[in-house]
Order: sequence, then structure tokens, then C-alpha cells
Amino acid sequence: MYKAMSEIKPIVNALKRSKVGAILLMIQIMITTAIVSNAAFIIYDRSTYLQQETGYPEDEILYFAITTFGEDIDLSQLFEETETTLREIPGVIDAAVIAALPLSGSGSASGFDTLPHDQHQNGDNRNVRAAYTTGDDHVLNTLGVKIAEGRDFRPEDIVVTNDPSMLAKVAIVSRAFAEEIFPDENAIGKTFYSGNTGVEIIGIVDTMKGPWLKDSRPNNVIIFPRVEARMYQNVAVRATAEDRASVRKSIEDKILAQYDKRVVINMRGMDEAKAGYNAADLLMLRMLVVLIVVLVMITALGIFGMTVFNINKRTRQIGTRRALGARKSAIVQYFLVENGLICLVGLFFGCIGAYYLGGMLLREYSLPALNNLYIVVTALSVLVVSLLSVLLPANRASNISPSIATRTI
Amino acid sequence: MLSMKNISKVYQTEKVQTHALRDFTLEVSEGEFIAVTGPSGSGKTTFLNIAGMLESFTSGDFILDGVNVGQLNDNQRADLRNQKIGFIFQGFNLIPDLNLFENVEVPLRYRGIKSAERKRRIMECLEQVGLASRAKHLPQQLSGGQQQRVAIARALAGEPRFLLADEPTGNLDSLMARQVMELLEEINRNGSTIVMVTHDPELARRAPRNIQVVDGQIADFTLYQHGGASVPRKSNTVAAVNPMSVEV
Ligand SMILES: Nc1ncnc2c1ncn2[C@@H]1O[C@H](COP(=O)(O)OP(=O)(O)OP(=O)(O)O)[C@@H](O)[C@H]1O
Ligand SMILES: [Mg+2]
Repeated sequence: MYKAMSEIKPIVNALKRSKVGAILLMIQIMITTAIVSNAAFIIYDRSTYLQQETGYPEDEILYFAITTFGEDIDLSQLFEETETTLREIPGVIDAAVIAALPLSGSGSASGFDTLPHDQHQNGDNRNVRAAYTTGDDHVLNTLGVKIAEGRDFRPEDIVVTNDPSMLAKVAIVSRAFAEEIFPDENAIGKTFYSGNTGVEIIGIVDTMKGPWLKDSRPNNVIIFPRVEARMYQNVAVRATAEDRASVRKSIEDKILAQYDKRVVINMRGMDEAKAGYNAADLLMLRMLVVLIVVLVMITALGIFGMTVFNINKRTRQIGTRRALGARKSAIVQYFLVENGLICLVGLFFGCIGAYYLGGMLLREYSLPALNNLYIVVTALSVLVVSLLSVLLPANRASNISPSIATRTI
Repeated sequence: MLSMKNISKVYQTEKVQTHALRDFTLEVSEGEFIAVTGPSGSGKTTFLNIAGMLESFTSGDFILDGVNVGQLNDNQRADLRNQKIGFIFQGFNLIPDLNLFENVEVPLRYRGIKSAERKRRIMECLEQVGLASRAKHLPQQLSGGQQQRVAIARALAGEPRFLLADEPTGNLDSLMARQVMELLEEINRNGSTIVMVTHDPELARRAPRNIQVVDGQIADFTLYQHGGASVPRKSNTVAAVNPMSVEV
């Protein structure tokens, strides 16, 4: 029986004798494979980043800032009353004055120690980076996060002060921070240090992100029970997702009605703040998707075009092969094998190219290391796309009548 | 061996119907060498294509070596072409990207013959046409006559029962044409049945049996004795001169 694979040798020989088109196609397949596997990996990496669990009900939370210019009032007391006013708006679940807003791109971070500063020379201190913020006993409920271990803040924990040296003695931390600073032990009741001040961990929240998703420690967060009332003050409000829009409209009026020597600025949802923070990544992601689609389409069209061109050029040859006894399937297989060979060589160099391109992106742009699975899957997909692109014209070729052999001179 | 009864072929194009063959009846027996002549457009190529199963026919019966061709599907026709028929074309139809060896190999690969046996047959056939030493050359490195000899080697390699040739010397000068003709005669002496379309009356006369096709029908046939002297078998051989006064 005739086997298409037995055609490999003459096909290779024939390709060697007219190689320009084949080489161009090889290069195209090579470039496509190298770029698409890296682009696909970056897309995967970025989209897991974009879809990561932040721990917050992003569509329920509103942020804004209040700038107070009236100097005839006690700010601490005003903000306490403001919180009460906000909590009374229908649809609002809770509201809290807060230092740094999660996922907003601005906040504070520092290193925290397992030993007080004075004892660093005596033993093994561990220093762990974390973002930190402050709030009262409503802050967890306002951010929509739950205590997993330990307890929430109580009113007596709250330090109300404008004195920066007055630090809180307890804190609630994210599990990522707890496990990093006290690995392999229960962090509840343990004390960590900021300088020489000890802070006891009283509660742990499973997941809550800091202000920067691209921080080296985006999951390490500390909340101190502390209220500072400032001229420029961030406030967070949580409402049910359905009521958030109406709450948003009424906030400013309620606040100004209470005291009008202040302005409400920069009102936004947590989801909007996150989207703004991630806008560049999303844009890049979309551009990469477009790049992949375009590259694959160009390759498919290139293969399609080259096959059509080859078939037109070889009409008489195909007719002759049919006259000499080729079945239609042998003609289809001929083009599949021919293209498959070109493709495999292109894929071979494409995989090497993908590997080096991945290495370069890792070095130059500190992207994560390319997972080789992406190269394999891309190579297989390119092979499938290329064989599919051949199939249609090859099928047409197999319908060329063998009588072409005698009818064309 | 080859038997056509009342074969008709109608080409249907948008506006016109062309009756390329009508009630075409012919018997060819084993070992014959037939030259087919006739005016341009008379249906010679059509006849040859049907005989070689390159084209279907509209009506009639065609038995090739005991097989009723009308009942075969496309794959069966391809296999039968591969096994029983060798084609020689006016334009040689060698595959330009394959060297001579690989060109002769094409029909053998379709038949699934093993590599060693292929090699033996290819070299034997190239030997027979006097081009064994050039097996690695590409067709474009050869003269027209040499190319046609390679094409003949390709047709012979499958050891077909029939050789069908459509104006095999049409693209060759007279010297080369004679060489090709001598080759065909030698092949015929070795037992192959040959049907050859030609416009060259001199070459036609060298074939033992001549058929003239006019207007899609056999207008005349003449048997020549081996050795070249022509002996009219039928009284109306004048038809070769005056195709209009024919009787079938
Ligand atoms: N594919 C086709 N479609 C329509 N008509 C065709 C087709 N092929 C051949 N014909 C017509 O059929 C008739 C016979 O053609 P054929 O090629 O058999 O002639 P021929 O005897 O071989 O001529 P020539 O000596 O010029 O090669 C001609 O009228 C031709 O125009
Ligand atoms: Mg013709």
C-alpha cells in the first residue's frame, strides 16, 4: 500500500531544490511560535494577576477623601459624627475613617521586626515588610474582611490621637504577614516590633491585599486600631452592591449638611480604583491578545497562500501524478506532509527562539520565567493551525482532473 | 484486452455541447501497436484519456483487461491506471523538482513497491532508454528528446500492459522523434501494447495498425505489414487523404 510517509524523502529533495518559499514560511512559523508562546505566557501571568482574590467585596466599597478647611471645629469629634452620619445612610453597611485605602496605589509600608530594635545585635531578628493602615473597630466590617483567628478590635483598643509617637499596642494582620514573621507557629498573642514598640497580634484575616498589588509583599497587611483626624482624611464606606450608586450620590450632601467648611473629593469604588491601578496591565493584555491573533492569522494566511500558489504552479504536476496512479488522498497527503515538514523545522527553531526570548524577557524586564509547557502547547497549536490551513487548498488540489496531464502542453 | 463499444463523450459547457466522441467502437488486442491520427479537434486525445481512465465517458461500454471501467470509483480507477497503464505525454510532464531517478520512481511509490525493488526497476528502465548515467540530473538539464525518454522510462517502470502516448514526438525535432519512435517499437517488440496519437504520417505509417478519427468517430483503419510496406486492408484508405468520404 502507498504510504504518505514514504514520500518524505522526495519531498525533502524537491524542497531543497526550490527552497525560498519554504524558508520564508519556516521563518514565519519560527517567529510566530517564539512570540506567541511568550505572549500567551505573559497573558496567563497577567490575567491571574488581574483576577487574583483581593479579599475585599470590591463592588461594595466606596472611597473618598474629605478636605476640611474650617478651623473652628474639633476634627476628631467631627469625624466621629461624620462616621455616624454615613452609617445612617440607607443601604450603608458600615463606614470608617481610614489611613490608607487598599488597592488604591497609595499608602504606607515599613519593615517590622521580631525583636525590639535595641536587641537586634543579640540574636536572630527577622524583618518583614508589610503595608499598614489604621482604623477603628468598624474598619474590618467596612472593608468587608472577616477575622479568621483571634478577635476584632474593641472600642477600648482604639487609640485616638494626632500624636505620631502614640502607637497602638495591638494589631490585626493578614495571614501572609503572620506566617512570614512567625513561620510554623500560631501568631495570635505574639508580639512584633516597630522600632522598640511591641505590638501584639490579636487577630488574623485570611486574605487582604495592601495598596499595591505589584508590591514585593502585596499580601502583607497590618491594621492598627488608631484614629487620627486630619485636614485631608480618607474615608471608606461599604454599602450593598445594589445600593452603592445611590449611596454615592447622597454622601456629599449629607457630609456638607453636617458641616460645610469642607469638600468631598476623589469619590470612587474600590473596583474602579483597582481598575485604574491595573489599567496599563489590562491594556497590555489586550494588545498581546491582538498580537497573537494577528500573528496566527498571518501565519495561517501565509500557509494558505503558499499552498494555493504551489497548487496553481503545480497543476500539471498534480494532474500527472493522478494520471500515474495517485489517489486523491495521496495528493492531499503530499501537501500535508510537505507543509508538516516545513512546519516542524520552523517549530524546532521557534521553540529554541521562544526559550531564548523568554530568557531575555526574564533578564531585561524581570518577567517570570517562561513555563515550557507554553512552548509545547503553542508549537502544537501552530502545527494544527498550519495543517488546517493546508487542508482546504490541498483538498481542492486533489480534485484537479488527471486529464490536465494531456490537456495542457 | 481493450474493448470500447459505442462510447460517447459529451462536453457540456455553459452554452455549447461538444460531442467529442460518438459511438466510438474499438477492440485492441494484446501486443498491438496502434497509431491514431486525425484532424485537430477530432477527439483523439479524448479517446486516449478515456482509454487511460483520465476522463469519464458519457455512455457506452468500456472493458479494460476484463474490468468494466464504467463501474469503478475514483480510487479504483487510480489504482488501475497505476497498475495497467503507462502514459507518455506530448509535454513530457516530468516533475521539475525531482531528478530523473525520483521521476521514474513516482508511479512505483504509488504502488507501494519496496525500495530495493524500486531501485532495480528504475535503473533497468533508465538503462533501457540510455539515461542511467544521468539518474541524478534534473529534467531541465536534459534535451527534449532525453526528457521524453525519461518519461518513457517512467511509463515502463510499472510494467504496464498498455502504453498510451499522446503525440509523444509532438515537441521533438525529427531526429529525436525517430529515436523515440524506435524506442517505442522496441518496447512493443518486448510485448507491450501501445496506442499512440500522432500528427506525423510518417511515424503513423511505421505502426502496424492505424486508426483515423474524424469528428469523434473512427473514420478509417489500416493495417500495415511489419517491415513498413503498407498493405491496404480496407478499400477506402483514400479516406486518409480525403477524410470527408468515409465509411465506418
Ligand atoms: N474539457 C473540455 N471541455 C469542452 N470541450 C472540450 C474539452 N476537451 C476537449 N473538448 C472538445 O472536444 C473535442 C475533441 O477534443 P480532443 O482534444 O479530443 O481533440 P484532438 O483530436 O486531440 O485534437 P488535437 O489534435 O488538436 O490534439 C474538441 O472539439 C474540443 O474542443
Ligand atoms: Mg489532442
